Amino acid sequence: MSTDQNFSVVGKSLPRSDGRIKAVGAAQYADDIFLPGMLYGKLLRSPVAHALIKSIDTSAAEALPGVKCVITGQDIPKVKYGNWRLVPESQDEYALAIDKVRFIGDEVAAVAAIDKDSAEEAIRLIKVEYEELPGAYSVEDSLADNAPVIHDEYKQDIPNISLDRKIEYGDLDKAFAEADLILDDVFTVHATSHAYMEPCSCISEYDHDGRLTIWTSTQAPYFVQCLLASTLEMRENDIRVIKPFVGGGFGGKMEMRPWEFCSAFIARKLGRPVKFTLTREEELATGRRRHPMRIHSKVGFSKEGMLLAKEFNVHLDGGAYNSMGPTACFLCGNFGAMLYNYPSYRYYGAHVYTNKPPAGAMRGFGAPQALFVAETQMNMAAEKLGLDPIDIRYMNAMETGNEIPGVATISSCGFKESLIKVAEMTNWREKRKNLKPGQGLGLGCYSFISGGVFNWFNTRYNFTSAEVRAFDDGTVHLMTMASDIGQGCDTVLRQILAEELGLKVSDIRLTAADTAVTPQADLGTWGSRVTLMAGNAVRKAAQEIKEELFKMVSLKFDLNVIHDLRCGNGNIYPANRPDRAVSFGEAVRMAQRAKRGEPVIGYGSYTPRNKGLVTPAFSFGAQVAECEVDKETGAIEVKFMTTAHDCGTPINPMSVEGQLEGSVHMGLGYALSEQFIMKEGKTLTTTFLDYKIPCAEDMPPGISVHVDTYEPDGPFGAKEAGEGLVSPTAPAIADAVYAATGYRCMDLPLTPQKVLTGMKKI
Amino acid sequence: MTLPQFTFLAPTSLTEACALLEKHKGKIKIKAGGTDMIVRLSHRAVKPDYLMSLKKIPNLDGISYTPGEGLTIGALALLREVDLSPLVLEQAQMLARAAHATATVQIRNMGTVMGNVCNASPSADNIPTLVAMNARIVASCGVKEREIPIDEFFLGPGRSALQANEIATAIKVPTLAPQSGVSYQKISPRSKVDIAAVNIGAMITLNDDGECQVARISMGAVGPTPLRARQAETFLLGKKITDETMAEAGRLAAEDAAPISDVRASREYRKLMVEVLTTRALKEAVGFAKN
Amino acid sequence: MKKELITLNINGDDHEIAVHPWRTLNEVLRDQLHLTGTKLGCGTGDCGACTVLLDDQSVSSCLTLAIESEGHKITTIEGLAPEAVANSNLENCELNPIQESFIAKGAIQCGFCTPGMIMSSKFLLEQTPNPNEDEIRAGLSGNLCRCTGYNKIVEAIADAAEKISPTK
Repeated sequence: MSTDQNFSVVGKSLPRSDGRIKAVGAAQYADDIFLPGMLYGKLLRSPVAHALIKSIDTSAAEALPGVKCVITGQDIPKVKYGNWRLVPESQDEYALAIDKVRFIGDEVAAVAAIDKDSAEEAIRLIKVEYEELPGAYSVEDSLADNAPVIHDEYKQDIPNISLDRKIEYGDLDKAFAEADLILDDVFTVHATSHAYMEPCSCISEYDHDGRLTIWTSTQAPYFVQCLLASTLEMRENDIRVIKPFVGGGFGGKMEMRPWEFCSAFIARKLGRPVKFTLTREEELATGRRRHPMRIHSKVGFSKEGMLLAKEFNVHLDGGAYNSMGPTACFLCGNFGAMLYNYPSYRYYGAHVYTNKPPAGAMRGFGAPQALFVAETQMNMAAEKLGLDPIDIRYMNAMETGNEIPGVATISSCGFKESLIKVAEMTNWREKRKNLKPGQGLGLGCYSFISGGVFNWFNTRYNFTSAEVRAFDDGTVHLMTMASDIGQGCDTVLRQILAEELGLKVSDIRLTAADTAVTPQADLGTWGSRVTLMAGNAVRKAAQEIKEELFKMVSLKFDLNVIHDLRCGNGNIYPANRPDRAVSFGEAVRMAQRAKRGEPVIGYGSYTPRNKGLVTPAFSFGAQVAECEVDKETGAIEVKFMTTAHDCGTPINPMSVEGQLEGSVHMGLGYALSEQFIMKEGKTLTTTFLDYKIPCAEDMPPGISVHVDTYEPDGPFGAKEAGEGLVSPTAPAIADAVYAATGYRCMDLPLTPQKVLTGMKKI
Repeated sequence: MTLPQFTFLAPTSLTEACALLEKHKGKIKIKAGGTDMIVRLSHRAVKPDYLMSLKKIPNLDGISYTPGEGLTIGALALLREVDLSPLVLEQAQMLARAAHATATVQIRNMGTVMGNVCNASPSADNIPTLVAMNARIVASCGVKEREIPIDEFFLGPGRSALQANEIATAIKVPTLAPQSGVSYQKISPRSKVDIAAVNIGAMITLNDDGECQVARISMGAVGPTPLRARQAETFLLGKKITDETMAEAGRLAAEDAAPISDVRASREYRKLMVEVLTTRALKEAVGFAKN
Repeated sequence: MKKELITLNINGDDHEIAVHPWRTLNEVLRDQLHLTGTKLGCGTGDCGACTVLLDDQSVSSCLTLAIESEGHKITTIEGLAPEAVANSNLENCELNPIQESFIAKGAIQCGFCTPGMIMSSKFLLEQTPNPNEDEIRAGLSGNLCRCTGYNKIVEAIADAAEKISPTK
């Protein structure tokens, strides 16, 4: 496929369409919305990790002036929910705990009051009697003999393993028998927070027509709509979910959450709007997080460096509920065998319940963990076999057309080019030989999905859809449920539509992410699915419009059937006669006349069919970290990051760069500074003082290049750009630290203390 | 979270302020910049009936210098003011370094050096250099003043030698003796903007033979109060300062440190960092002393 | 407990309001005056999303008592481009050069940290009209961003500095 298409809007670094409203402070996020008569909600959370609820006394709270409503698990429908609707028994949560709490922070009751002070005071006045149960705070605890059973109401083959997954292909045992080098290591990786800057917030209103409207900080309005309907026992169409501006998500806002339920439930009960906004402490102490994992990985190589076999055993510490754990468990198995051609592979992944805040989806979704292990072992193997880390990767690298048996076909791949580029840009081979004491250079690589193909939500709609209305003033209106949470899809989808219709971005009006208005459905912003999937749907909708308008233009000029028509510069014209142009608006007017006033509307949808088991398209890339380690203090300074990556056609290169730099930031925090310190299920790092996301001074400068590929299944050749790049940073930094100190990190995060311990100084 | 309810008091004289302290003993808290107090209120770590602001009291701000006596830093002098003060930079640049190392731009625009001292947090950025420089805290009960040597000021985490009716009005920092140098060293888990996992302040005075005449080393975040590295100080007295003696002083300082393990660092790491940072602080201080 | 009547000067306008003494400036700006450009990201002074200028000094509005803000000049993000906030057509309004640079350089993603970042940038550029990269990064020490990795924000501030105080 040609990559040198002459795009006029796609491929341009246009400023984002919501830049101005955000820059002046006028963009409204959920907590910025105030409705007349609004009440303030607050949740009571369990202070104990595992206990039966014996009784709840709400009388003092109810008696407090200003308090309008107090609800507990006894007041709500006994309906469990969870994103994995395809496997109903995996839906293991109540919006408010009914008889048992399973983690410190589990929601137990909710109040609504006329002001925040009264709501908070009311929460303090609720008396809950707990009968404490033994807790399990790690995978080891949960799988021990006589471990407490965290969910006893549904059957599990092994107690506390909520589900497992196996993948196997090739003759593993034979391959290991023939291997010249076998690495057999156990790694542990830790939990981290999404730490989106906007704490979760929502506001619900119930109108006289019996419709519930909720404005909520979500990545997936459709999921919220469906799961509110089931838990509130309402019809989906009676619930309207509107996504206002959202201050980041990174996977942490893709489920229905208890506060959304409580806000809706109380609004319906009282007929008054109810707002819930979480505190940062609630977010950090009780919120979803990245899965900690214990990974046992055994890899076999030939002496030349060819990969022969890999056995990958993963235990995910899932916390108290399934959340998005099943997906992480599935994807981790796939990422374990990505990037390189593994002739034989065996994966076992188990999702384990513990009495901790649930882990959920988070940027990378199983990949940062799997790739920290896989890439570290590649670096170890290179050293043991006397190969350059670039070379051992190159000889095993996936290429366009490769198949992962039974799983996927790689339809575009710029991995080898990325390796070559990153080596060139860093002067890799020379620089590695000439490191000064304390300096290190390290390599990490990644691959990621462009949206999932597995319908675990069990939607009855297409995965995404778009409607485009064309107007005779030369403008169009795009309606999509795709959710911009900061990543920029409102801008990118406009660019795709403008390109397809030959219009300017400013000719496009956009209405997005309102379930009552935008076409059903879109599964949300996660899994790097939006550009490819929603982008394809937008193109298809635009193509329907073009089809209709082309008929009009053809008729007007009485064109021979062999003529090709084009859209460009706001006109439609025969490809070889740009002078015979009809303006877009004029063409719409003709089409409308021809239909006696019917509007010109295009509809497009996209559902990945026949795309294997994982995704329609994979991104690839390589990254080099340059570090300096203070050998006395163990302090690690990342000096420079170099990245070469393949995201297909970058629809908006500036936006792609922004995603890349944001990924490096998150990867840096994952590698070095971010962690939850826990004690018996209690999170101790509950402020940004103790939960340390990198600040501006910690962020290294860097350069990046985009490797030119064209993804046949993506809109204008585009694929994933915002998520995969969170993975290579930690293994690259860990490898650089190894080069600087001789300490090989197999236990994230890489703290100064661990460096010194690894250097045998402590 | 919203703040707990309190009655707000904003006295306009020291006498009035101290009378209010006396009157509401046990039920009143003081705020200056508020950057620490508001967080503690929000977390319900304190729930006073009265919150008294010092901001309306005249003459508590400002930084001044009296030759022969030294610097005076008013109770309301902001971290930012100390960070940028030409007087401080000239007379005691390490106080500026410590103020600059405190928290963030916004916090430095609001918070005071005195607040950082009076909170008596073991990890406070501004304490070790003040201890090393043998500062005194001026305390007033509204009627009379007394000066508390900083070595006697800290009684425990969050506890100082101030009486219930006293307000700390100024920090007095004596002028450095000739051939003296000071250093502030800090290490924290997040590289740049962070609370200290260990911090060290050191002052050293040399005689004409390059021998140590005075050494004061203060260690932060390694005990319930800022600790003096007494063994190291004693060891250095009268010794020629060499790399070896400084390294040995570092080792001795680590022996005197009594850190705990917490969310910021482990006991073992802190001990080792005391050694490393003490040695570094001495090196830097000696460098200044020689110039 | 009784409220006190105070007058806050915000973006040049006097607002007479009744507040409890325990209200923070952030609560008053957002909940009472609905000046919601100023965000609340943490409530402990660690993230900077709530940054406003008090007498031209950047402060955390979440740690500032409203009653103590009386008699000071308060500037919020809404005060940087008053015309834009009052006018529905943002495209044709003149913004502050810092805002323009943030937009042009891709320094905005989710936008939640943006108002605080811009207020900190304004303070920085008033103190240091031509900051180098290290000075810019240090000037952002009190503002966390989770989307951008800061580099485009640093670029935007350098760009704005050049526009406001050209070095050539």
